[in-house]
Amino acid sequence: MSDQPTHVLLIEDNPGDADLVRLRLVEGKTPVQVDCFNRLADGLASLTAEAPSLILLDLNLPDSHGSETFRKVLEKAPDVPIVILSGQEDEALALKAVHQGVQDYLVKGDITSKHLERAMRYAVERQALLRSLEISRKQQLEFKNQFLSHVSHELRTPLTCIHQYVSLLYDGLAGPVTPEQHDHLSTILKSVNQLHAMIRDLLEATRAEAGKIRIEQRCVALGDLLQQAVVMMQAAAQQKRVGLEIGLDRRLPLIYADPDRVLEILLNLIDNAIKFTPPEGSVVVKACLADADPAFVYVSVTDTGSGISPEAIPLIFERLYQDPNRVDGNRTGLGLGLYIAHELVTLHGGRIWVSSQPGDGSTFSFTLPVYSLAKLLLPVITQQERLRDSFVLVRVALTPLTQPPRGNWKAICQQCLQLLRRCVYVDKDLVLPPMGISGSEENLFVVASTDMARVNIMMTRIRGQLESCTELKAAGALRVTAEPLELPPVAATDSLEQQVQRVADRVTESIMHNLGCKNFAANDNHKNADRE
Amino acid sequence: MNRTKIMIVDDDPELRMALKLRLRANHYDTVSACDGYSAIALAQKEHPNLILLDLGLPAGDGYVVLKRLRDSDTLSDIPVIVLTARDPQANEDRSLEAGAAAFFQKPADNHELLEVIQATLRNASTAASSLPS
Repeated sequence: MSDQPTHVLLIEDNPGDADLVRLRLVEGKTPVQVDCFNRLADGLASLTAEAPSLILLDLNLPDSHGSETFRKVLEKAPDVPIVILSGQEDEALALKAVHQGVQDYLVKGDITSKHLERAMRYAVERQALLRSLEISRKQQLEFKNQFLSHVSHELRTPLTCIHQYVSLLYDGLAGPVTPEQHDHLSTILKSVNQLHAMIRDLLEATRAEAGKIRIEQRCVALGDLLQQAVVMMQAAAQQKRVGLEIGLDRRLPLIYADPDRVLEILLNLIDNAIKFTPPEGSVVVKACLADADPAFVYVSVTDTGSGISPEAIPLIFERLYQDPNRVDGNRTGLGLGLYIAHELVTLHGGRIWVSSQPGDGSTFSFTLPVYSLAKLLLPVITQQERLRDSFVLVRVALTPLTQPPRGNWKAICQQCLQLLRRCVYVDKDLVLPPMGISGSEENLFVVASTDMARVNIMMTRIRGQLESCTELKAAGALRVTAEPLELPPVAATDSLEQQVQRVADRVTESIMHNLGCKNFAANDNHKNADRE
Repeated sequence: MNRTKIMIVDDDPELRMALKLRLRANHYDTVSACDGYSAIALAQKEHPNLILLDLGLPAGDGYVVLKRLRDSDTLSDIPVIVLTARDPQANEDRSLEAGAAAFFQKPADNHELLEVIQATLRNASTAASSLPS
């Protein structure tokens, strides 16, 4: 240790014990500066001013007892080494603390200055070591992510070239091809696509590990996604002579999810199911409301395949895991698909699991949250557990002349939003997804908590700006209107939940009125839950 | 009648050639540029109907090209479709915000790409014809 005095924070309520420890500290060769507190709260408060070199901690204090004491300190000062001062009777507890991140413990009554000095020195050294390990682990992870991201980009470039030239040959654009050559080219294309999928999975898994996957949740009709997934996988199923069917609960509510990601999960599970199901077998995709929790829908993919061994079940969602007993006689892939599916479901707030008997097929199931306007509105229209005074529903109607191309709607929305935020002071806002029903995607609704008077003044400006925005016009938006909609006052006697629900109902009503549409399902009351 | 002209901007000569063959087979005329600087110069000279733009380019990357196009008096109407090997999560929204009409990650499905090219061209021409000149 250096010549600088070691700054020790002593949290001990027994004056006799505190004095004794202080004495032992002073007796030692190392110069120390001791701050002593007899209550945990005071000790923790002192941490904010200056982090000590070490904390000596008694577990039983006037304001905290037992394991609660060291947990609180670990939480507040994760980087400061802690040595516990334990009594003879709670040595077991002290040992438990060591398992949870405390550096060491000393039994009161046995403490000599040599003991104490040594324990302190080692605690400080170990803590520093742990910290540098943690930092280097993070650096390595970051490096690995950057490396993989770079590699996958570099791999894609030649892959694109192969893909382009093979497809030119395949489509006969470079001269006539014999049927046999056509077959070979088809095999090359299939392999290129597999390689492409692997590169994508590799990057996706890395991102999942680093917690960098982004999802954009919106209001989605799950049934449409299931149909889409089944249509996309039908060819693969037919090729293997595996039946692929769909079973939809007619009362399926709209869900709150990222449609691209849900499709990714479904394709992944269905692809797996087909892969592990022998010819003449079947794969069934089902969705219904979860019985146990009405806030979730339940989706399952059941196959009549080889099943999964009991040892493999707890490991199957692990990264890179492949069940050695599950052989599909084909290429196995990277073993990342289920891991990615697991991460995506978890990000949505759902859960995923599998049930299976070897030789008797498997069922992969997952849950996704039901779309609830009230739940989404909550952070926008409430503050400190009460409803805000004023908020508005702004509608921007975009009327494109023709069907906008892929991605265009998003760009138009973003441009509109940017303009809106420039024009109105928006405290917080919620963009209501265009209801997930294709064909109604030319309306943008924003619920914002802001001053009504200000909105009225600004609205003219917004309209002017939106209408004169040539980029929006070029993107296909010809008529842009924005109008504020006042929401009615809410009875103060209602519970917050009821108030929010009432606002949600009013917003729904306004949107339906605005759209002149009947098929916007308001999930909250399951009014129109059996929408086609 | 004038044929529709598409400008390909990519630094990989083989890929430029492959895209050119693909587009010509679909009755488009093509011109191509290999970097950001010459892309702008060529766009001014040729005034293409649509630009297929890579993001990773020498002499001004795709975003620089997008910005130059949008800031230009004469070129801001030309629709741009981004076709890049870069990661969509980091680049799709950014490209759309910068004014691209669509985003594709390489390798893109040719049929889908051609469909979007067609739709984008259709949109651009209807928007242009209905604007007061």
